[in-house]
Amino acid sequence: MNMRADNTNAPILSVHNISKQFGGIRAVNGVSFDVRKGEILGLIGPNGSGKSTLFNCILGQLKPTEGHCEINGRSTDGVRPADLSLMGVGRTFQQLSVFPKMSVLDNVILAGQEHQGSMLSRLLGKPDAGLTGKAEQLIEFFRLTPYRDTPAGSLSYGQQKLVDAAMAFMAGPGIVLLDEPAGGVNLTMLGHLKERLVTYNREHGTTFVVIEHNMEFVMSLCTRIIVLAQGEIIAEGTPDEIRSNQMVIDAYLGG
Amino acid sequence: MAELIQILVSGLAAGSIYALAAVGFTLLWQASQTINFAQGEFVMLPAFFVLIGMTVLGLPMWTSILLALVLSLLILGVAFKRLIVEPMLPHGTLPLVIATIALGLLLKESVKEFYGATAQPFPAIFPQTVYNVAGASVSVQDICNLVVSMLAIGGLQLFLNRTRTGRCMQASAQNPAVAEILGVNVKRMVLYTFLINAALATIASVLISPIYLAKFSNGETLGLVAFIAAIVGGFNQIRGALVGGLLIGVIDNLSAVYISAQYRAAMPLLLLIAIILLRPQGLLGTPEGRTV
Repeated sequence: MNMRADNTNAPILSVHNISKQFGGIRAVNGVSFDVRKGEILGLIGPNGSGKSTLFNCILGQLKPTEGHCEINGRSTDGVRPADLSLMGVGRTFQQLSVFPKMSVLDNVILAGQEHQGSMLSRLLGKPDAGLTGKAEQLIEFFRLTPYRDTPAGSLSYGQQKLVDAAMAFMAGPGIVLLDEPAGGVNLTMLGHLKERLVTYNREHGTTFVVIEHNMEFVMSLCTRIIVLAQGEIIAEGTPDEIRSNQMVIDAYLGG
Repeated sequence: MAELIQILVSGLAAGSIYALAAVGFTLLWQASQTINFAQGEFVMLPAFFVLIGMTVLGLPMWTSILLALVLSLLILGVAFKRLIVEPMLPHGTLPLVIATIALGLLLKESVKEFYGATAQPFPAIFPQTVYNVAGASVSVQDICNLVVSMLAIGGLQLFLNRTRTGRCMQASAQNPAVAEILGVNVKRMVLYTFLINAALATIASVLISPIYLAKFSNGETLGLVAFIAAIVGGFNQIRGALVGGLLIGVIDNLSAVYISAQYRAAMPLLLLIAIILLRPQGLLGTPEGRTV
């Protein structure tokens, strides 16, 4: 049906035996998994299961106590956040990441690394480094065209999440990490967001890793799901397998 | 009518210089939450750099102005940021405000101590000619001051909106954490803001000193007027600071002629009170929630 199960390639993201210790608490304990090109992987787990810690270790924002992560074969250890986007990694944020007084278009252009290049080209070169076309395509894709020139801060929360997503795709990434994309978004907008992500995945083969609390959203979006509890992987499989897994049910219901 | 034109022109000319200082005020606030109560002294000081260049070093006027610009960029831009703002900002806005008040006093007293307490004549940059336009006396200096200030502010707006560096500066001011993650060098953008403020202060200083003479205490009024202009226009908008500056210049001149020369200094304060009561975000500003 689509490219999601393209399994001939080497993994785009490899997590090797990651552990993270905070004082006496082991937030993540020996987690390993691979993500292949075109997959939509969901990373779920109850509060305090270590999802966000793992996410930050993958992004190089936290240094794991043990283990390491590779994106396209390159270690993310010690990588500056800005370099991630140059490595083709896009991300969205749990908190909104828009620049409130700038137009939607300017926000998306800015996410396309327009600040790269020499000082002279930044001062005298094209104001958008030739990124307007691509930005407009993404704005169109997320159906934000009517708000192209509106300050991003005056859009609804859900619309800002869409701007956030458009920004994450702007660097032309091979992989996008979405941190709780459904948080605080109303149902209509959520359906829209999900539909757009699936379409983008089908059309471009972009890989997604999604951290999410909203089970319905994850179950309907992802091709594979990994469940964390107390810092360890307790289950892994398709949405249907996860739904019927007794350990997952117990972990979520505190059984 | 002729008198009114005359008052409007000189009001706009003075107001445009206030606007330069006010724009700097708003820039620093947006980029680094710095309320610079030494802003008036920042405008007072470069004139003395020019005088030092001309009288002590014997340089020609334009070379001295260039020297003043370089010194201002270094002292009022780089050193101000590195030595005062960066160490104080982590302690919150209020300690920084107090530090800038102290800096203002230091600059003022230093000029008084090392250069002199008397008002110093300052060379005119533009011809002092006065033309008669429809019965009104319009001075070339006023017109030139207005034009130079407007060009400076217009150029700044173009820079901020049309260049990639300018947009990165806006992004750094609006959401520094995310700008950093996108790879914008936020620290450098903040430094640019301080340099721009220093340059605006130098321009204002060179424009205003031929009119009011260079005096150590010039900053008192200028700083207050720039602060009021920024609040009246809207603290988070450059064009707000521009409108605020022009408005205060015009109101000041109008009230001196039509109300009372003695109470002219009170007019900007009355305007400030009215704005705070009726439209606290300023004429063009947008409401802003910020924890301080």
